Amino acid sequence: MVATNHDRLVTMSVQGNVVSPGYPGIPAIPHQIDHEGRPRLLPALGGIVYNVRLGDSVYGWAGDNIEPGVAIKSPEGPANQALNVFACVGNQAVVMSGNAKGAIGTVTGKSGRFAEHVILAFPPDVLDRLAIGDKINVRACGVGMTVRDYPGVKLKSLSPPLLESMRIEENDQKLTVPVKAVVPPELVGAGSGLTSESGAICIQSMDRNALQRHGLDALRLGDIVALADYDSAWGHGYRKGSVGIGVVSSTDSIKAGYGPGVTLLMTAPDGEIDPMVMDRVNLVDLLGIDVGGAKA
Amino acid sequence: MVRTNRDQLVEMAVWGEAWPAALRSPYRPNDRGEAGVLMGTAGVILNVRVGDPAYGWAGDHVEPGVSIRNREDGPEHALHYLACIGNDAVVVSGEAAGARGVMTGEHAHIMVDFEPDVLEQIAIGDRIQIRAVGMGLEMLDYPHISVRKMSPRLFDKLRIEELGDGRIRLPVAAVLPAYMMGSGAELGADYVDQDMISNDRETLAALGLDNLRIGDILAIQDHDHTYNRGYREGAVTIGLNNHGDSFMTGHGPGVMDLLSCATDKIEYYVDTQQRPNLAAYLGIGNKSLA
Repeated sequence: MVATNHDRLVTMSVQGNVVSPGYPGIPAIPHQIDHEGRPRLLPALGGIVYNVRLGDSVYGWAGDNIEPGVAIKSPEGPANQALNVFACVGNQAVVMSGNAKGAIGTVTGKSGRFAEHVILAFPPDVLDRLAIGDKINVRACGVGMTVRDYPGVKLKSLSPPLLESMRIEENDQKLTVPVKAVVPPELVGAGSGLTSESGAICIQSMDRNALQRHGLDALRLGDIVALADYDSAWGHGYRKGSVGIGVVSSTDSIKAGYGPGVTLLMTAPDGEIDPMVMDRVNLVDLLGIDVGGAKA
Repeated sequence: MVRTNRDQLVEMAVWGEAWPAALRSPYRPNDRGEAGVLMGTAGVILNVRVGDPAYGWAGDHVEPGVSIRNREDGPEHALHYLACIGNDAVVVSGEAAGARGVMTGEHAHIMVDFEPDVLEQIAIGDRIQIRAVGMGLEMLDYPHISVRKMSPRLFDKLRIEELGDGRIRLPVAAVLPAYMMGSGAELGADYVDQDMISNDRETLAALGLDNLRIGDILAIQDHDHTYNRGYREGAVTIGLNNHGDSFMTGHGPGVMDLLSCATDKIEYYVDTQQRPNLAAYLGIGNKSLA
């Protein structure tokens, strides 16, 4: 267990609406081009997703970067920026309008450039009652959290309950963090160079052999992973020896440079994090999230 | 002579205006979180031209020469997608009307090189037109190699050798490993560039990438940019450095796609004698490279 300033963090509401999926209009060529050059028309970002849930495989879905559960966004730019930066994985989300009013869910991740959504998990019966446009309030708490004695380690989008659940141990002035797998820097794709305070960074999946070689072919939504040689303190970029920790928050993609989206949780530019690969390092287990039958 | 379909290419005018520099917040964090105030993209840059060093400027993503864009969305994207490196440009309004330049790269704006006396006459808002030709260029005997943003004029200068068995070879100024590729991975390969990541200066120096010049022809290992930009073992992409370094994490000198192959059919070698650089190839920009 690591010591933090969690008792001095501010808890603040940030709000969004359940977003609708969106596609380009006329001239009615809505396809995405996959990494082999094939035009594909598939469900993509946004909406209420009933059957892709936390704990499910990120691969094999007939979809592109699917956000499991519910994606929300604020219609106003600055308010959406606040929602996307202040919401932390593990924060409570409360439905404020509609048939599911009062239901409670959990923040599980974020989406990056071109979407800027916050992703939430709700039990199946709540998903059944939600409508596109419903207001959902996130009780944001986590931004500003620091780890005592580790000033070089930066925390992002990480709630105190999730940090507590991650079974982090101190060993020889380093933090040992359990993860499902380690992503090498050549497989880090879309999201590189962009902000690490919100959004996602993709694990590139075009080269299936490389995925298999690095044990990344069995990833599930909600798995905690490490990014090797990646510094995410002030944006994401290569730095030898840096280590990032994130959570897999959206499914695979058909596009080159894209793949499962990872929401960054921790970064150690100078390498004060040691990832330890093990099984069952998934949000479903760590936070006890009800997705209608634990699957991880 | 590598066979191409150049006889079939359409030559079409696109245009933009010399575009003003803009500033939202004066501060940007570098990779250690230190705020800096740096001149960046856009504007008429009087003292940085293609062929000059990519590093060391007190600026961020410096676009050499004149940066142009179009106010309207449709024409702006026509400018982005149709203008090719090496295309002729002409000033069509203002003091420098009639002066000729060359399109040297695509970033947030389209970059055009002019001689110093012309640069001094160009005002923000002056119209610059480009004779766009190159979109659709194909190497007829190499359908497995994609060609992008390439004027026939530049293509002819790349010193491409045919090796048989579907293979080609050309000289480059430097070689980038896949893990050095950063911002721009989220964009299509037909749009602007992808930055190489320059914040790890030790790795940069160890790889011999710390002395690049704007306009350098570069090879990216294990990157397939045939459809978008991504890692594929054995693939090769050939690109051109279009803008200066950046101090933001995950950013650095930009690399625009020229050629890409999903397999290892593009061979390359580093030529230290005759620098493979746009300035030298087209006789523009920094003349010391010619």
